[in-house]
Amino acid sequence: MEKLLHVEDLNIEFHDHLIPETVVFDFDLDMECGEIVGLVGESGSGKSMSALAIAGLLSRHDMKKRGTIRFEGKDILDCPRSELRDLQGDEICMIFQEPLTSLNPVKKIGWQVEESLKIHTQMTPLERKERALKALADVELDDPERVYDSYPHELSGGMRQRVMIAAATIGNPKLLIADEPTTALDVTVQSQIVELLKKINKEKNTAILFISHDLSLVSQLCHRVLVMKNGYVVEAGDVKTIFESPKEEYTKKLISAIPKCEKVKDDTDDIENMVEVRDVCVSFTRKNGRKKETVDVLKHVSIDIREGEILGLVGESGCGKSTLAKTIIGLQKPDSGTITQKYPNTQMIFQDPYGSLNPARKVGLIMEEPIRNLTDMSPEDRRRLAEEMITKVGLGVEYLSRYPSELSGGQRQRVCIATALMLRPRLIIADEPVSALDVTIQAEVLKLMDKLHKDMGISFLFISHDLRVVHQMCDRILVMKSGVIVEQGYRSEIYEHPKHEYTKELLKSAGLTNISV
Amino acid sequence: MKQKKISFNLILGSVLLAVTLVPALIGLIWTPYDPEAMNSSLKLAGVSIRHIYGCDNFGRDIFSRIMAGSGITLLIAVGTVAFGSIIGTAIGAFTGYFGGIIDEALMRINDVALAFPSLLLALVMVSLLGTGKYQVMLALGIAFVPSYARIVRSEYIRIKNLDYVKAARLAGASDLRIMFVHILPNTRTVLLSSVMIGFNNAILAEAGLSFLGIGVQPPDASLGRMLSEAQAYMFTNAGYVLFTGCTIVMIILGFSLLSKEIK
Amino acid sequence: MKYVLKKVLSCIITLFIVSLLVFVAFSLIPGDPALSRLGTNATEAALASLRHQMGLDRPLAVRYFEWLASAIRGDFGKSYSYSMTVTSMIADKLPITLTLMLYSMVLMVIISVPLGVYASYKEGTAIDKVIQIINQITMAIPPFFSGILITLIFGMTLKMFTPGGFVSVKISPSRFFGFMFFPSLAIALPKSAMVLNLLYSSLNAEKKKDYVRTAYSRGNKSKTVFFGHMLKNASIPTITFLGMALADMIAGSIIIEQVFGIPGLGRILLTSIQNRDYPVVIAIIMLIACVVIVSNLLVDIIYKLVDPRVKD
Repeated sequence: MEKLLHVEDLNIEFHDHLIPETVVFDFDLDMECGEIVGLVGESGSGKSMSALAIAGLLSRHDMKKRGTIRFEGKDILDCPRSELRDLQGDEICMIFQEPLTSLNPVKKIGWQVEESLKIHTQMTPLERKERALKALADVELDDPERVYDSYPHELSGGMRQRVMIAAATIGNPKLLIADEPTTALDVTVQSQIVELLKKINKEKNTAILFISHDLSLVSQLCHRVLVMKNGYVVEAGDVKTIFESPKEEYTKKLISAIPKCEKVKDDTDDIENMVEVRDVCVSFTRKNGRKKETVDVLKHVSIDIREGEILGLVGESGCGKSTLAKTIIGLQKPDSGTITQKYPNTQMIFQDPYGSLNPARKVGLIMEEPIRNLTDMSPEDRRRLAEEMITKVGLGVEYLSRYPSELSGGQRQRVCIATALMLRPRLIIADEPVSALDVTIQAEVLKLMDKLHKDMGISFLFISHDLRVVHQMCDRILVMKSGVIVEQGYRSEIYEHPKHEYTKELLKSAGLTNISV
Repeated sequence: MKQKKISFNLILGSVLLAVTLVPALIGLIWTPYDPEAMNSSLKLAGVSIRHIYGCDNFGRDIFSRIMAGSGITLLIAVGTVAFGSIIGTAIGAFTGYFGGIIDEALMRINDVALAFPSLLLALVMVSLLGTGKYQVMLALGIAFVPSYARIVRSEYIRIKNLDYVKAARLAGASDLRIMFVHILPNTRTVLLSSVMIGFNNAILAEAGLSFLGIGVQPPDASLGRMLSEAQAYMFTNAGYVLFTGCTIVMIILGFSLLSKEIK
Repeated sequence: MKYVLKKVLSCIITLFIVSLLVFVAFSLIPGDPALSRLGTNATEAALASLRHQMGLDRPLAVRYFEWLASAIRGDFGKSYSYSMTVTSMIADKLPITLTLMLYSMVLMVIISVPLGVYASYKEGTAIDKVIQIINQITMAIPPFFSGILITLIFGMTLKMFTPGGFVSVKISPSRFFGFMFFPSLAIALPKSAMVLNLLYSSLNAEKKKDYVRTAYSRGNKSKTVFFGHMLKNASIPTITFLGMALADMIAGSIIIEQVFGIPGLGRILLTSIQNRDYPVVIAIIMLIACVVIVSNLLVDIIYKLVDPRVKD
């Protein structure tokens, strides 16, 4: 029997510069009906390019493709677009990373979900609407009628991705290509979307090509995996083999970069508190037209940060964890409550290493800024201190005279850490410090933070949505939801005997339910 | 290896500005003939070797007058843009950074001012301040303040919420230091391209005002003023109108091609 | 509906602020209107009585609210220079300027929209590049120079109209509209180039958006993606610009009236500015403000119809 998808020796080149640049080399892939294949790699590895080529969406004139792509025996690499169009949206469908921008902002959801039926079938508008409502119900959206008449901006991120899936699967395609479909979503929503994809695969026997940088998601969903690096497929095989006995160095590195959640012993010694937050409330007034709404972001929050610990703070976006960090550090005034700090000079590291360094200033100047403003140290001493700190984070002295735009994401985050070290703080608040980084870089930055913790005795308040990272890094953990700390305790308590429903849900979404004893 | 193609826009823009601005700069110190010297025997004379653009209704050399006139036009444009962008940046920086009631009130007035075409605002200003080259400079400068204030304000609002500004605050930088040392350099791309566009608008507005006879007053010659004089004789000496008009077009085209490159 | 009411209310407030600013600004100008009318050798008594007669001796606030009350009824007071009411001076000129403005608006849309869409549809081809070059040059032509060029080409060389031969609509509507085509074209041309440029670049920007890729992934034809998906999205910034262009057209009209010898608002405005005839200047500025604000209101309403994301 003919394979569903057969890709052989696919090469993709860009021609917009004087010298052509190849982004995908000798890509091979075979897929059977109903199979789920994962395509894994870091940003720039060529995984999205390969997927777009298979979907027939790489038709820019500055791009050249060589090789074979056959779908049910039909050559779709070199066929005219008119023939390709018969497959697109009918047999091969695609969903994308960012559901908000992937939906047309000025068209109603119903119109967009029905569109492929309009193109590929002779259905009457009434039949189409019926099918669309059913498709919306199939992706477990409540009140499909209302969603049908909404515009994209009126839905939440998770709902939009469900809509995208509904639109892609309405014509029962044989192949669904999902390009990082969960990356832009919250962790609990992520696992719901993965469950949904599983369900569609089972019920409709749709083959899925699942592209992701998240190995744990891939291991939950896929049957087979391809690992890509710099345009090459470095390793391929079924999920179990790859995860249990990876052959390639790179695959091993990727897998070892996933924070492990092994059982650990907790330190239970009583240590003094270095920060005490008591009964803090913060609310924002948001203007909605003429009306002013008050949103309570922090509701009577009390926490302690103990001397020498790494305290984890987990929760989904919008739960108030960043506001808590800003309140502790003094960027946000609390409406009520008190914050007592034992030591001055607490520093903060931000999530986005591209936004947290001033692009107009050199690294050296950025690092010297706090010393310049807050102490009367001489310029020579400032310089010497900056040199000392930048070597501490593993960068050379020459980086001091570079601009942030010349650095990679990981290097930038190192510079941020070095800047935080300048005032010799006892506590650093790290707000999602690695979530914008690729997984191997993540591991390096985490290692650096662990080293600083051990060598310099710096405490961290480590804020993250990633329970695996938190498990790896933290001694004690706080779980936050809608401005309230719902649970706190030592690592083993939280991960092995979660008490609060929300903590259990978070652990389940992260695939961490099985580590309990 | 990535290499950028040399842009056609950049070359053409530079060439256009060179052929218009270099004579204008030379015109500040030297012109082939005295731009004010009248010669009744040369009234509306056509193009010749001695007078390459011909002569106007008083027999004055048009080429010399264009050299001197572009100088005044450019002087006014520079003054206008400098005034508008400096005051506008200051207002935009303070309102954008601090927000609050003053911001709301100023932006309300700004919205009103922006709803008017800049030429009309300039007309109002001229009727308040009177005519003449310095009055025009001030009138246009004031009329340009709102647009700069708005652009700079929105940049400040965008940038002040970025993490590096928070980091600067944590590093103990004062508000003024954050505003001018940390944020201002990051508005340079936006500011530079709006200065270029503003330069064009200033040239257009000055030419418009002088064309209407309420801008630069004789004996000063500006391109707009010359065009309005030339219009009366366009049936007898079309060259006068065309040479003057094309000079304006070339300057504006040159700047807009260059500002496209900056973006 | 609530949206429209809200916008109308905000327009009225804006208009009120404009009137206040304009009135106060013109009242604070140095120079005495009574003195300039009677000349420097007038006696102090005569000046005082004229000031009283003109109402200049009363407090500013009283004068403003009196002026506002009568302005709302369409009475803008008396001219300083002529013994006429301002309203009668303006009444028959306003329609001419408005005609010029609307005429050029229509021409602008007819010229720019099809060309902009076509150029973007054919992006990268020779025809696209030709349109871009012509457009770039046209954008650099100031409206008064385009007026002069049109007079030279269509009036003098091709003899399609008589330069300076304005005909009142009362005498011959067909000749009126025939003549007005040329000044309107002079205003419309540079503005069309700007609209074309904006529409072209926003269409090209839309091409890179994610939803376009989604549309292709469903098997749409390029034509459907372009006209069915992108055009509406790209029109949103263009609509905002059309509002501003309408405001600019009225400024353009004032200049173009001078080039073509059209007896519209522009000429009275200029003579009044030169004569310091402030009641007339204020009245004309307020009229222009009305036109600008009403056109912005229309744009806001169209905007709401096109973009579902606009909040009430």
